[in-house]
Parts: sequence; structure tokens; C-alpha cells
Amino acid sequence: MTRSPAGWDIDGPIQAEVFVVWLHDGVLELTGPCGAAPWLIELGAADHPVEVVDRIVRDVVGDPLLVHSTSWRRDRNAVILTFVVAIDVPAPAGMDSRPIGRATLARSEATAAPRDIGTDQVVEHALRHLAWLVKDDPIVRGELSVAWMSTLSAYVPEPFRNLG
Amino acid sequence: MSEQRIRTRCACGWESIGVADDVVRATIEHGRRIHNMVGTREQVLAQAEILDSGDPTGPDPEHVDAGA
Repeated sequence: MTRSPAGWDIDGPIQAEVFVVWLHDGVLELTGPCGAAPWLIELGAADHPVEVVDRIVRDVVGDPLLVHSTSWRRDRNAVILTFVVAIDVPAPAGMDSRPIGRATLARSEATAAPRDIGTDQVVEHALRHLAWLVKDDPIVRGELSVAWMSTLSAYVPEPFRNLG
Repeated sequence: MSEQRIRTRCACGWESIGVADDVVRATIEHGRRIHNMVGTREQVLAQAEILDSGDPTGPDPEHVDAGA
């Protein structure tokens, strides 16, 4: 992930990385206040990650269908908790949106994390995790539409993972 | 007397340009609302880029939102 080397940047030992996903004519797209780029949120020592992400998503984007942590990794001198947020409305006005392409997963070695992890690989895993939840979690299955579940069926189900 | 114009740029692509008080206020609000950050005036100014001595009667600070 390439970010600005200077200026006002997100800091702290624990950060949330949010991918807001919506279904556009059968194609999953990424949106959010940072467009299709990862949306980073600082997490304080007393913060519950899910509560913070849910609160900020509701304020900035609107009510989500699902807020779910899908993986974690070490990056940006922090522990990054990845969240996928499913919304059932189009990308909010003024927020860029981009169709999500497919990617190969970043695979760990037997006892070590992958050396490089691309954003597309993190998103790929997040959607595979959501596909796994559709099969395993009745609450998730109950929140997503038939169209959502049909689209996610193209993803190979994977549980929560440490990506690096 | 004119006020200096500055620019702040968030890593997410958001920018604010204008006189210092307005830009500091907008930047702290952006950090709080979008990124859950707690920032101070001093922190914002330390990262700001000084542009020029602008017109104090000029428009509100500009905000440019773009994916990083």
C-alpha cells in the first residue's frame, strides 16, 4: 500500500483498515471516504475495535449490513485489523467507487508471515472470509441478500487469518 | 493585514487549503470524524505547508477529497 510520506497520517500501535463493499449490478465495489483505498482508523488502548469501526461507519457512510473483522497483519509499524463492511445502498455521494478485481492470496510460510501483502490480496481474503461466514454463520446469512450471497459464492471460503 | 494561507494533506487524500485557523479546525475535524484521531493545533501546523500570504476575506478553506 502506498501512502503519502508526509503530512497528516494515521498513527498508533493498533489501527483498523476498513473496506466498505457494496453490490453494484452484480459486481462488488469498494467505496468509502478514501474511495477504493483502505480507510484507516486509529484505535486507542481503551477502544473496542468493532464498536469504533461501527460508530464511525454509521456516521460517515450510513448504516451497515455487516461489520466484520476478517484478518490481521503487521504493517505501518502497527497491528492492522482488517474489517469488511457490507452496505446495501450505493456508494454515498462524493465517495469514489471501484469494482473489486480478483487476486491470489498472500500465503504464509510454515512458520513465518508472507513477505509482501498487497491491498488486493487483503480484500480477496476479506471476501473469501465473508463467503465462509455465509456458509457458517446464520446471522451473516440472514443479513445478506440472495444477490449478495450469489456473488460471494464465486469466492473460495476461508476463515479468519493472520496475513502477516 | 493579510493572513497566511496554508495547506494540510491527510494520507487518505483529503486536503484543506486556507487561512490557518480555518484549516486547523477543518483538519482536526477530519481526523476526528474519519480517522478517530485526536489532534492538536500544534500538530496540524507542524505538518502544514505554507503557501502564501492570502486575502483574509477570501473563501472558506477548500477541501479536496480523493482516494490516496
